Amino acid sequence: MKKIYISTLVITALLFLLPIPSQAIPAFARNHGFNCNMCHTAFPKLNDFGQRVRDNGYQIPGQQGHEKNVLETPIPLSLRTTPGVSLYHGESGNTLGFGVYGLDLLGAGVLHKDISFLLIYTPRIDEPAGDFTGSNNGSNPGQLGSLESANIVFSNLVKDAVNLRIGRFEPAYQVFSSKRNFYIFQPYEIIGYASPASGAAFGDNQVGLELSGHFRNGFKYALGVVNGTGGIADNNLFKDFYLNLVQVFGKGDGQSAGQRVGLFGYLGEQPTRTGGATSPYTGSNNGQDNNLLFRFGGDLSLNWKTFNLIFLYLVGIDDQAFNLVSPDESYIYSGGFVELDYAGLLNNRLIGSLLYNFVLPPSSASETKVHSVSALGRYYLGDWTAVNVALHGEYTFKLTGDDNTIKEHLFSFLVDFDL
Amino acid sequence: MREIQVLLLGAFFLFIPLLARSGDTPPVPTTKVNVHSLGPERIGDLPPVPVPVNNPQTSKNILLGKQLYFDTRLSKDNTISCASCHSPDKGFSDAGPTSKGIKDQLGGRRSMPVINAAYNPLQFWDGRAESLEEQAKGPIQNPVEMGNTHENALKTLNSIPGYVDSFKQVFGSTPITIDQVAQAIAAFERTVVTTDSLFDRYVRGDEKSLTAQEKMGLEIFNGKGHCTACHWGGNFSDGRFHNLAVTQVGPLQVDKGRFDVTQDPEDLGKFRTMTVRDAALRAPYLHDGAEKTLEDLLEFYNRGGGKDPNLDPLMVPLGLFREEIQALAAFIKNALTSLNPEAAKVQPIPASNLPK
Repeated sequence: MKKIYISTLVITALLFLLPIPSQAIPAFARNHGFNCNMCHTAFPKLNDFGQRVRDNGYQIPGQQGHEKNVLETPIPLSLRTTPGVSLYHGESGNTLGFGVYGLDLLGAGVLHKDISFLLIYTPRIDEPAGDFTGSNNGSNPGQLGSLESANIVFSNLVKDAVNLRIGRFEPAYQVFSSKRNFYIFQPYEIIGYASPASGAAFGDNQVGLELSGHFRNGFKYALGVVNGTGGIADNNLFKDFYLNLVQVFGKGDGQSAGQRVGLFGYLGEQPTRTGGATSPYTGSNNGQDNNLLFRFGGDLSLNWKTFNLIFLYLVGIDDQAFNLVSPDESYIYSGGFVELDYAGLLNNRLIGSLLYNFVLPPSSASETKVHSVSALGRYYLGDWTAVNVALHGEYTFKLTGDDNTIKEHLFSFLVDFDL
Repeated sequence: MREIQVLLLGAFFLFIPLLARSGDTPPVPTTKVNVHSLGPERIGDLPPVPVPVNNPQTSKNILLGKQLYFDTRLSKDNTISCASCHSPDKGFSDAGPTSKGIKDQLGGRRSMPVINAAYNPLQFWDGRAESLEEQAKGPIQNPVEMGNTHENALKTLNSIPGYVDSFKQVFGSTPITIDQVAQAIAAFERTVVTTDSLFDRYVRGDEKSLTAQEKMGLEIFNGKGHCTACHWGGNFSDGRFHNLAVTQVGPLQVDKGRFDVTQDPEDLGKFRTMTVRDAALRAPYLHDGAEKTLEDLLEFYNRGGGKDPNLDPLMVPLGLFREEIQALAAFIKNALTSLNPEAAKVQPIPASNLPK
């Protein structure tokens, strides 16, 4: 019963609390007079051109210094929202409801040659009309939204080879962006998975800095140092490090053409004590008894015509100090996903996708084992002149627990509106 | 906490214009990439033709330039005029793939269209001329084009009373100089502009001027086809240089393109972006005419260009379906072909009507 309750709670949170994570940035398109699918296979997923623009600090490759800056272009603001209806069917029963499942406010642009910025603010959308006067502890409706991204990019410190991103950003090891994939409700499960006590926010945007580079032979790297706790303060002096290596074969960037293979590794530490007391992993103190956690894995992106097959496998090792159930052994888990996307009809107006997620936790946490299959279809209305409306249907069947004890179905139908 | 977040957000927005303001000074165009304006610009109407202050457009100047443009006497053996390789009935280019000069000598590159050349920040495929005036002097003394010398050409012109009279009226002095010749030709070329096509009518509000297929082609042109990454603005050209890894055909074994001007290894194999306006009139395509038809050219782009270590990063495979290529071709052929009588229907001046 408890599992059912938790599961329902998670689904509810997904549906009603969390901002929609993915985004396109019509401000860029308007600035350049481009249609959206100059950079997107279909929004929000980037194509090769879009990936190169992102790698080049949101500047058109090879054109830096010859573009208008943010003051010479229309106001660089965009929004995205997704009203719709969803049906959840689980062990505890059914829920059916209308909702506005997200609102993102985005600002982005080029400030000066090789200096650009990205800002994404996600306000709460379920606040009561009146001011909430209680404490903002993260669990009440008075909580405000957050700066999901706020970073400045200094590009081409060494042409193509060294670029610096500072602030809160999506780290490069999230090579299959959870922010720019087609799925709205179904996340890449393994990216957000961690031992319950570690507090690691591997799947979240991170605060820190990232050096990255890309080369004509298709090689890319990214090296980052971050808090490791998402957008909140980090209660230890030791910062987390990651390294991401990518090689693209053939023309393209592995997004919509070319074949791409990558490796990533992440080393972090989280405290378990402050003084004599059990420590939260965030806060202003320097926590004690810092313990290690690792993430490493590989990924693959294969393209054929307008099909894109992606695969990611990840192994996580959290120190035994984070293993609350079996404190004598490290918390070792693995998992991944396979996704097949197809863009069809003229001008990629129709998107179809299949996604399989799996999470294999340690035996002591077998109730968190996950297998899920998802499918979606998106149809884009109108033309692509920097204002997008997509009809979005998504379905997920999810099995959770060692014996697949929890079975859940989630249907959703949304209008994805991007301005 | 709420106040702090709002303050931070406000501060960030304030910070942006402050930073951007520090970059108010427009970037100085480099010798490598000369630009009229920062881009990309939205595709649409052409702005007024830029005219240099020292060569104003007058009817006499333009007429004189037109006479020179069609006059074969500028060439060494009286066989080649500007119009021989930049013919009005071939979209102000020629049949190609590369041009024939005097004594049937074959040039190494495709004839560049004169249409809208007034908008090019740099002239020639490699941008070696910074103005139409400078460009106009080149072919006269190119050994495989007109094969003449400036001295000989001027000697010829100065021996023709009709020309001497005209130059005196336009420039107020004689003898005729090569700068005057170039100025007159450039003045005429600045009239060869396309301001009226079905696309222009469409962007001015005539929704019915394009068919559904052409509208689809326009949508692809500015999106999935990535065409406007380079072919932007009113002239459908960024005026800059790109390496598409074009297969080298024709008389040249190797063509280093822009590199020959700048000696910068990054410019190896780069050629200037052509306008797409009236492209349907001037097959074959690219700097050496390697792609025979518009459909061949679109397939070339759909493959992401050719293979070259210096391939432009803007070149990626496009994943266009056949119907999408057909729509693009329809848009370019039908919507971007000029309807301007003054540009598209320039009538050659018969030799019998040229100054004597």
